[in-house]
Amino acid sequence: MIKLKIFMDKKELNTFIRLLQKVFTQKQPAFDLGLIVKEPKSRIEVKEVFEEIKKIVDIKGIVYDEKIFDEDVIDKIVDAFQKNKWVFLEIKKDIHSPLLNQLKHLANYNSFQLIDYQGQDIFEMKMPENSRVIVYAERDFIENRISYPHFYRLFGPTLSLK
Amino acid sequence: MPNPESNPETIRFKSPEELKEEAIEAKIKERGPEGEILGGIVFEEERITDPETGEERIKKYIYIGNPYEDRPIITKLETEASKEEIEAIKREIIPMKESFEILEAMAITYKHRQPLLIEGPTAIGKTYLADKFTELLYGRGVRPLDFYCSGQTDVSELMAKWVPRVETEEEKRKWQEFLESAEAQKEISEIAQEVEQKEKLSPEQKLALIHTRLEELAKSAGLSEKTQWRFQYAAVPKAMGLIRNPDGSFSFDEQKGMGFTLHIEEVGLAEPQVINALLKLRGKRGQLAEEIQLWENGGKKVKSGPKFWVFFSTNPPEEYLARNEVDPALARGVVFKRMGELSEESLHLAADYYFTYKLGGKPQEKPEGCILDIYNHPEIGREISKVVSAFHNDLNKELKKGEKDRQQRVPLTLDDMARVADALIDTQIRNKETGRLDLTETLKKLIHFYYLDRLADEDLKETMEHNLNELLEGDTGKIEFEGKILTRKEIFDILVERASITEEEKAKLKKEKQKEEERQLQQAKFNAQDAVDSLLKNPRIPDPIKKLLSG
Repeated sequence: MIKLKIFMDKKELNTFIRLLQKVFTQKQPAFDLGLIVKEPKSRIEVKEVFEEIKKIVDIKGIVYDEKIFDEDVIDKIVDAFQKNKWVFLEIKKDIHSPLLNQLKHLANYNSFQLIDYQGQDIFEMKMPENSRVIVYAERDFIENRISYPHFYRLFGPTLSLK
Repeated sequence: MPNPESNPETIRFKSPEELKEEAIEAKIKERGPEGEILGGIVFEEERITDPETGEERIKKYIYIGNPYEDRPIITKLETEASKEEIEAIKREIIPMKESFEILEAMAITYKHRQPLLIEGPTAIGKTYLADKFTELLYGRGVRPLDFYCSGQTDVSELMAKWVPRVETEEEKRKWQEFLESAEAQKEISEIAQEVEQKEKLSPEQKLALIHTRLEELAKSAGLSEKTQWRFQYAAVPKAMGLIRNPDGSFSFDEQKGMGFTLHIEEVGLAEPQVINALLKLRGKRGQLAEEIQLWENGGKKVKSGPKFWVFFSTNPPEEYLARNEVDPALARGVVFKRMGELSEESLHLAADYYFTYKLGGKPQEKPEGCILDIYNHPEIGREISKVVSAFHNDLNKELKKGEKDRQQRVPLTLDDMARVADALIDTQIRNKETGRLDLTETLKKLIHFYYLDRLADEDLKETMEHNLNELLEGDTGKIEFEGKILTRKEIFDILVERASITEEEKAKLKKEKQKEEERQLQQAKFNAQDAVDSLLKNPRIPDPIKKLLSG
């Protein structure tokens, strides 16, 4: 039963990845950030999702929880971009202002804009063409713990894991 | 009533300035053959003679005005962008009434160094137009300095902070843990307050006091009191003194910088202490402050460069659960413009732009995953735009009521529509029976990804799925198309079939049509001859008439 469910999601996952890879918005223009939401009844584990994506693209996993600072997450994303990798960011605590600022900038312009970073007054780094960011979070967590009210607006395609 | 124009006493000569104004206004109000807006932004070059050297040089200007107005206010601004760049930027702005209202407000306030705050729903395009306005001033691809507020924004992220110089990762971790604590933030802000009150101290003494306090703070937290500290300016002072270098990079000079555009977004989410810090930007006569004093740095002043401008934006309070209106003190200190919902007319215009692919470049070759080059078929795009904008509008109305059991808000934006249009280029589903694009199924799939999977309210999701199916395939979604009442699916199928026909098939069909017309003509001839023959055989027809008929 579970296997069948995972198999069904795989097809959706492929479309989701494809949309992130291919769709380049005519308006901005920029690639989208993707969101994977685990619904309350879903039995799929984050590790399984990550491993499935890893089979399709070269991706680096980052867990955003109490043990990590925003600056370190930003450093890790910059590092992944420098290696042309995708980023799988699992959100496990409310997003603080420095990271939120960069995620928004990334969503709008596909770039980071950091003040006084790496010796530059304004550091700007474009997300490489072969990199993307996927954010993973549980539905209940988004609804009850993320204080930024427009969290969903940061993303283009959303994959709901049921 | 005499005609004033025919009365010689009312005829007057117009000055060259007035004639130029009229010419600019005509360009601002220019419309295309179908009434579409072509104006709004006008580029002009002027030859300027340097009074000192006598040298001639060319200065570039843009004129911005609202083309929907009968008598628009036209603002002239100097630009670094070329004519080609301005034309390209113009093409990227959907000429909605609301877009020009915002651009007009931006141009006027920028010219007069007044801070602007626009409160409006997410779909109105505040951020997008702030970007386009910056490009109009500085050239393609130049973005404003951005800062996004949230409930967790700290004053130091906007103004300035002291940063310890650390060598090891472990030290860095310890410091970060300490500096992120509420206790440390409170104590650091108290240092700034203490310095502000010591009026009699010289700037050097104030700085020395700050360092002493920081050392004490480090010691009390069990960290090295010998730590060196570095003062770091944040978004506001940086924007005041930024210098844009010829290579596009930025450098900073707190006294001589030209300044740049700073866009502070979602200011409605900012906490009172952040608003208080932003109030430092208020200057004389409603203008931006000429300088600000940072107590965090012993009261050192940062000058506001001539090109420094601040644009605040925020969503209406109802889009932020539990948030109040914009702080009244901030609202008084800025030019405050409230925008309503995007009109249905504008929504349709935007949908038409997206689905007929007027904004960006179209693929040169058919991309992988593309069954039908839909971007080359505006007749299909126009039909899709009607469906998607109707669905978007429908869902938006539902979302305004709020979703059951949801804390997050999911206001729709024009980006949602744009995303469906962009994905439609190369994410297409094939109809297994015909082998052609199944536009109905493709649209359903993409609307799922970009609109429905965000919804937390399962009942609403189900209702919207039903509404979408009804719109595409049900009786209530039927409309008149080429004289027949059809479902949207049927219309899509017809249009896709027409667009899918190859040149060879088209030639074959043309030939068949020609043959059929010839056959019908021949048949008509036979029918006419039969009718004449039958009349000739009729004894009741007089002979003279028979003679005429046979002739």
